[in-house]
Amino acid sequence: MGAALAGYLIFAVALFGGWELAARLAVADAELLPPVATVAAILWRFMHDPAFLGDLELTAAEVAVGFLIAAPLAVSTGFLLGERLHLAETFNPIVHFILAVPQSIFLPVFILAFGIGFLEKVLFGVTHAYFVIVVNSFAAVRSIPPPLIAAARVFGATRAQIYTRIYLPAMLPLVLTGLRLGMVLCIIGVLLAEMYASRHGIGRLIFTWGEGYQVPELLAGIVLVSILTVAVNEAMRLAELRAGRFYARVSAA
Amino acid sequence: MQIIEVNKLGKNFGAGRAHVRALADVSFAVEEGRFVTLVGPSGCGKSTLLQILAGLIAATSGEARIDGERIRAPMPDKIGMVFQDPTLLPWKTALANVEFPLDLRGVDRAVRRKRCLALLDLVGLREFADNYPHELSGGMRQRVAIARGLAQDPRLILMDEPFAALDEQTRTRMGHDLLEIWERTRKTVFFITHSLAEAIYLSDMVLVMSPRPGRIIDTIAIDFPRPRDIDIIGSEAFGQIRNRIWHRIAQAQA
Repeated sequence: MGAALAGYLIFAVALFGGWELAARLAVADAELLPPVATVAAILWRFMHDPAFLGDLELTAAEVAVGFLIAAPLAVSTGFLLGERLHLAETFNPIVHFILAVPQSIFLPVFILAFGIGFLEKVLFGVTHAYFVIVVNSFAAVRSIPPPLIAAARVFGATRAQIYTRIYLPAMLPLVLTGLRLGMVLCIIGVLLAEMYASRHGIGRLIFTWGEGYQVPELLAGIVLVSILTVAVNEAMRLAELRAGRFYARVSAA
Repeated sequence: MQIIEVNKLGKNFGAGRAHVRALADVSFAVEEGRFVTLVGPSGCGKSTLLQILAGLIAATSGEARIDGERIRAPMPDKIGMVFQDPTLLPWKTALANVEFPLDLRGVDRAVRRKRCLALLDLVGLREFADNYPHELSGGMRQRVAIARGLAQDPRLILMDEPFAALDEQTRTRMGHDLLEIWERTRKTVFFITHSLAEAIYLSDMVLVMSPRPGRIIDTIAIDFPRPRDIDIIGSEAFGQIRNRIWHRIAQAQA
């Protein structure tokens, strides 16, 4: 944990230090590469700007709703496929097929079907998150050693107890991995939909700043989204490591 | 009092070309309080028989009774079991694993804690009560599994090659310790192994099973006095019994 923290610190110092250095040495045009302080000041202003915070909230709401729809649906699908292998034989190839297709190409279809707005963003987030969570939940069911279940039966576990006392804790680490990846993809889906066609949201702002050559604002937006997504990812990874701590002596990555 | 009665038991797997006769016409009985071992070559159907006794799978023909009751489902109040893999729950401590069968039945926390700490003491692991399985050695894990098998105070313990995955040293040591535990608890043990020496050293009676389809082809009473010393393994009498079993299996294979 300490080593990882040191790694993040080194990365942050190198990134922002390198950026500041490049700006001062005027490696690139000041228009293209403003100093860190300029961007930080804009970021500070944003955090007190109700309009900006409104856009941020909207995006966060789209991601949250999308994730909350996708997660239970996908975990149940993965569980069902893991429990009913004849279903898995039929549906797993489809899941992997869809996973292989870049979902971004379906965005125009989503817009035609659902219009431009909250619902379309949410649904695009849902389909992004869904499949990867299914695959991981399926793997989670299959990862339970059958002798563990046989032992529980011999000790008198009821069917309900086998699910709550064996399946649930045994599946947890892999399901959490799926949820984390699903969250990352959900964010990607929502931002993509916002950047492509939207009137609001942080994705829309970033796209507009890029088009309008507003580089300091653009960079401030990028930095903010990066920090937020890294924070979400790390929080979920921590939960994942905690759940998986009984399985490995060394916590690799 | 016969705690296990098996009568003309048969078990087939699959159908058509994949049809396998695992057990054919298996009959035997086990007296309460005895240590009985079923020995036979790998794949002879020993584990299948044990799974039937545990109530995990149903027989195709014949019947098996535990304590006079026909087996239809697991009987957690009568049968404890130790598997080849320790099958401990990785997210539970050694103590919580031993408590698991009692926990499932809703036994009061304080009661099961006291009882299971005593069992961990019996298997020599009291100071490891709060350790997780991944922090224990293979032999220690199997000791926890033995303690768990005793948790519900069953009259019969089924053991499915419990020491097969351990190294020779640990295996011998575990056999010795198991006998000590058995002397103190006097539960009926029905033990499965493919090791002839292990079978003879541990048991009051050895049942010999033929290659597939498994049948009982010999029953040998083992009269070495108890408590037993590991040195008996080198004795002439021990060697004679081992040869007898070996020849019986070889004949059945031919």
